[in-house]
Amino acid sequence: MEFFDCNCEIGVLTQPPLAPAVGPEALVQEMERVGIERALVRHACQIDESPIVGNPYALQVLAPYDNLLPTWSILPPQCGELGTVDEFITAMSRAGVRALWAFPSKHNYLLNAETFGELFEEMIARRIPLFLRSTEQSGSLRGWELCTDLLRQFPQLTLILVGHGSWGTDRFFRPLIERYPNFYVDTSRYELEGGIADFCRTYGPHRLLFGTAFPYTSMGGPMLTLLHCDMPDDYKAAVAAGNLARILQEVQL
Amino acid sequence: MVDSQLAAEFVARGRSAACPVIDTHAHYGEFCGIYFPHPHAEQMLGTMDRAGVRICIFASHMALVDPRRGNELSARVCAEHPDRFRCYLAINPNYPDQVAAEVARAESMAGFVGYKFLSDYYQYPITGDRYKPALEHAEDRSLAVLLHTWGGSQFDGPALWEELATRYPHVTFLMGHSGYGEWEKAARLARDIDNIYLELCAAYSVRGVIELFCEIAGSHKVTFGTDLPWFDPHYGIGCVLFADISDEDRHNILHRNAERIFGL
Repeated sequence: MEFFDCNCEIGVLTQPPLAPAVGPEALVQEMERVGIERALVRHACQIDESPIVGNPYALQVLAPYDNLLPTWSILPPQCGELGTVDEFITAMSRAGVRALWAFPSKHNYLLNAETFGELFEEMIARRIPLFLRSTEQSGSLRGWELCTDLLRQFPQLTLILVGHGSWGTDRFFRPLIERYPNFYVDTSRYELEGGIADFCRTYGPHRLLFGTAFPYTSMGGPMLTLLHCDMPDDYKAAVAAGNLARILQEVQL
Repeated sequence: MVDSQLAAEFVARGRSAACPVIDTHAHYGEFCGIYFPHPHAEQMLGTMDRAGVRICIFASHMALVDPRRGNELSARVCAEHPDRFRCYLAINPNYPDQVAAEVARAESMAGFVGYKFLSDYYQYPITGDRYKPALEHAEDRSLAVLLHTWGGSQFDGPALWEELATRYPHVTFLMGHSGYGEWEKAARLARDIDNIYLELCAAYSVRGVIELFCEIAGSHKVTFGTDLPWFDPHYGIGCVLFADISDEDRHNILHRNAERIFGL
């Protein structure tokens, strides 16, 4: 079964994880150990330094690796740091970047229509996915409230919430899955016993994306959980790689 | 792929006859803050079979709140499935008048192997006097006590472990979640104090923790647990299998240490 990891990070952070992965070599080595073929990758430089520096740096360090796909981070277009919306989308197209991240906690902005309306409407039209960590905060909103607020404002946005937590979050994300057709969660911390199979029995296999949260979390746990969960192989294949591949293929740049 | 016979076997089949996993930190039944697809015995047995878990040692969620009802439930599950379940007797120190009665019936409970304290939830320290009847019983009988432990906690953090473990030298203390977050301190305590063990539930997911524990404390001081029905055993097993340790270490963690501690 092919595994395509939607949630990997490399680089140097002000507060590193227990086992940091500074360069792409560490990621590739771990993927080979665990049996993960491809990964969508963000660079810590995009988070702790700036997307202005980190977006091009991610392209540079990931360029030698065909199986590591770079992602970029967004900033409020009003300050012009990443260009106008048109310029930013054009740059994405030239660079082959097909997915974006928002880090409102570190980057100090409100993740809402006033700030990102123009960009998100363009992303919806072009089916560009936005990734968001479950720990992010924007103003007074954080976690599930932030996620819900964003989806209320942009119900057609392809939003992928990652790292939704191991201590019971189905009661938070299932209502959003039912209401918003382009909302997804990753499996990096979907440790709930029987959770993946139970979710897929209820909603089908197309709303979960395989992720590992490398280098914060062990890759082996999410991989073995999906590989042996109690559901058909075609469901597993969709979660393991098919869904993410489809989402990226549907991006129009 | 990682150079491990065990990992290859679990990847291929989901379990290994050579590695009959023992889950030293489990629960049973519904709980307040989480949706469980599989909280009951037959469902848990299905999960255990799929992941090659031979025996699950648990304290029912009900027992953690209301020991009088919940310990009965734990014993009933063990009586119905004596080959697959063992149980910890739970003590709620916020009802101190009930503690002695629970301890008094421990030996008659089917499947009883030791005690479980959930001190953060009770906001009562593991060193507090209200646990004394249970700890004295465990000391007399050289039993195991599973503690919920969390880094920085004033109720069960690693700062309290040495005092407790030296006060009751014949008790085997399994530090549930390994003092989550205070990894090096927890590992050093397990290295230096004979009766302190690191229990991996939830801690296993943190990349590098298992290697750190094996390096500092040794794999002979680490046990495996999942909080079942909270966490899929394959998640924790996968973390152990793909950690950068030897197959001997993996055997120690996944079953051998528990076999020795609990005589299984």
